[in-house]
Amino acid sequence: MAIEIIFNILIGLGILFYLVQAVQLPTTDNPADVLGAGGFPIVIGIIALVGLAMITIRVVKEKHKVAIPMLNLRSIDGRMVFINVLLLAGYVGLLDVIGFVLATFAYLVAAPLSMGYRKPVVITIFASVTTAVMVIVFGIVFYVPLPRGVELFRDLSYLIY
Amino acid sequence: MDIIIQSLAAVYNPMTLLLVSIGVLFGMVCGALPGLSTSMAIILLLPFTYSMDPISAIVLMVSCYVGGSCGGSISSILLKTPGTPEAVATTFDGYPMAQQGRAGEALGLAVTASSFGTIFSAIVMLVASPVLAQAALSFQSAEYFGLGLIGLSCITSIGSKNQVKAVVSVMIGLMIGTIGIDSINGVERFAFEQPSLLNGINYISVMIGAFAVAEVYKNIEEYRHVDTSLRTEQKVKIKLMKFSEMARMWSSFIRGSVIGTIIGIIPAAGGSIASLIAYGSEAQNENAKPKFGEGNPRGIIAPECSHNAAVGGSMVPTLTLGIPGSPVAAVIMAAFLIIGLTPGPMLLREQPIMLNAIFLALITAALLLFVGGRFVTSQFGHILKLPYPLLGTLIITLGVVGAYSLKNSFYDVLIMFVFGLVGYFFDKFKYSNAAVILGLILGEIIENSLRKQIIIGDGSGMGFVTRPVSVLVLTVAVLTFLWPMMSKKFRNR
Repeated sequence: MAIEIIFNILIGLGILFYLVQAVQLPTTDNPADVLGAGGFPIVIGIIALVGLAMITIRVVKEKHKVAIPMLNLRSIDGRMVFINVLLLAGYVGLLDVIGFVLATFAYLVAAPLSMGYRKPVVITIFASVTTAVMVIVFGIVFYVPLPRGVELFRDLSYLIY
Repeated sequence: MDIIIQSLAAVYNPMTLLLVSIGVLFGMVCGALPGLSTSMAIILLLPFTYSMDPISAIVLMVSCYVGGSCGGSISSILLKTPGTPEAVATTFDGYPMAQQGRAGEALGLAVTASSFGTIFSAIVMLVASPVLAQAALSFQSAEYFGLGLIGLSCITSIGSKNQVKAVVSVMIGLMIGTIGIDSINGVERFAFEQPSLLNGINYISVMIGAFAVAEVYKNIEEYRHVDTSLRTEQKVKIKLMKFSEMARMWSSFIRGSVIGTIIGIIPAAGGSIASLIAYGSEAQNENAKPKFGEGNPRGIIAPECSHNAAVGGSMVPTLTLGIPGSPVAAVIMAAFLIIGLTPGPMLLREQPIMLNAIFLALITAALLLFVGGRFVTSQFGHILKLPYPLLGTLIITLGVVGAYSLKNSFYDVLIMFVFGLVGYFFDKFKYSNAAVILGLILGEIIENSLRKQIIIGDGSGMGFVTRPVSVLVLTVAVLTFLWPMMSKKFRNR
């Protein structure tokens, strides 16, 4: 119950912040634009806040438990999800530095390992083939711009796609 | 009679039939891959059409449009990653069916419904193009506002387990939709001087995050204990619907197709809104078994019929008025201009064969969906045989490419990552990710039409109730919102 209340409070704070920003939006010069830039956001923000209050009251009354494995790092499942969130964050962060090919290959190797998949040969083949197929299909055949990285990685990427 | 014979000859020759097949297959592959869209597929085909005669060129692009519109549902059903925005609603029941080991059935439903919707709208297009196009022009801000509200009425069905949470979720979606430059008076809203936020938040990256990434997180914590993949089916093979099954669900086919055709005709509405409205109208039935959101076949039929019917529908204003009915139709219109044809009333008079040829191409492409569907699905089926740690990783990598390719920007990948986490927690606390996406998609049309109508009315909202079409659309919107509550009361009596 406590986790859900904390979650609702966080959403509530987000909505309050949104409402404060909406109220401060400049009014329009056009008198016919009654709602202005802030009118609609204020209305939906208030509805969301009222709804959230109703949900929170119900949560307090019903006191049901919600299990969130990601927040329980003592469990293997929780750790696996948490590590995967970090891995994805690292992947996203590295894409613009070392480029698509290296970052994707590294992620495709690291993520299955973090999920307890212990077949290094299969993982290596999977990562190599997937990276190659993605670069060929998206980067070469369909001209989808893929991240190139910086400096040397960028120059190297031009040799591939 | 002469025109009909010439049209048949123009389409039913080996070369044009080959082009239809290529268009359908290429569209399906592009539609099924997150990161490629139908409009992109058509743009990629464009250079090949320069040396073709006008009919072949248009036939190729229209076929690609049909294939792409259907292809998005393949990844929706199998990976919970909609390949195209139109396929969002298919995810609601398609993925649960796949999880129950009924992926082949779900894909069969999607292909059959897409095919039916395309043929339905093609017939409507041929019979009543000019009349419908004129009627569509009577849609103004007030009507668009009503249309947006009808779309939002989906929440009463997709959030049937907890209506208040669904409402809060949709409001959060609407709130996210207000980020960026206000299109009415150019005011910067909630962008905090970040250039990347000025254009708003793209719902595709939110969708990939909240649906695909969140689902992968969920499966990572579950896959060691339960069957999270589609392993029950050794080989994913389309199971086509029998005629008797189609007849049993005829109302869903017709409803979805009618909604899709009408919304396709309305300029700038498009297949994604059509499929959400069709899903919402279908899911009003609370007594359905299995429940909507838990693998109900009608939850696939209606949106699939609808967004493919929007293909033919969107061609109506494009051809007869020169106003594109959807972003993809805008690309096709550009192709017309490149070829040297100007869409509009004169086109129908000067090129009568063209309309018939497009109509025939739509029907042929619809029939070829079965062949294309079988091929593309079998390829995707191989992916599903992967152990979950590999499959989950692959889904995320595809999602990253899909998000990045939207604007070649890391900002979209970051949005995907953030909404992956948001989606995970929303799922845990039984908020509705689908409602967030719904609000995000419909937010712009609702706010802008509301404000535009008030501005047109010089500060008054009377325009909403004095325009007959608006009154009709708003009444439908109110009824669709209230129907679940009303039907409950009637039952209790």
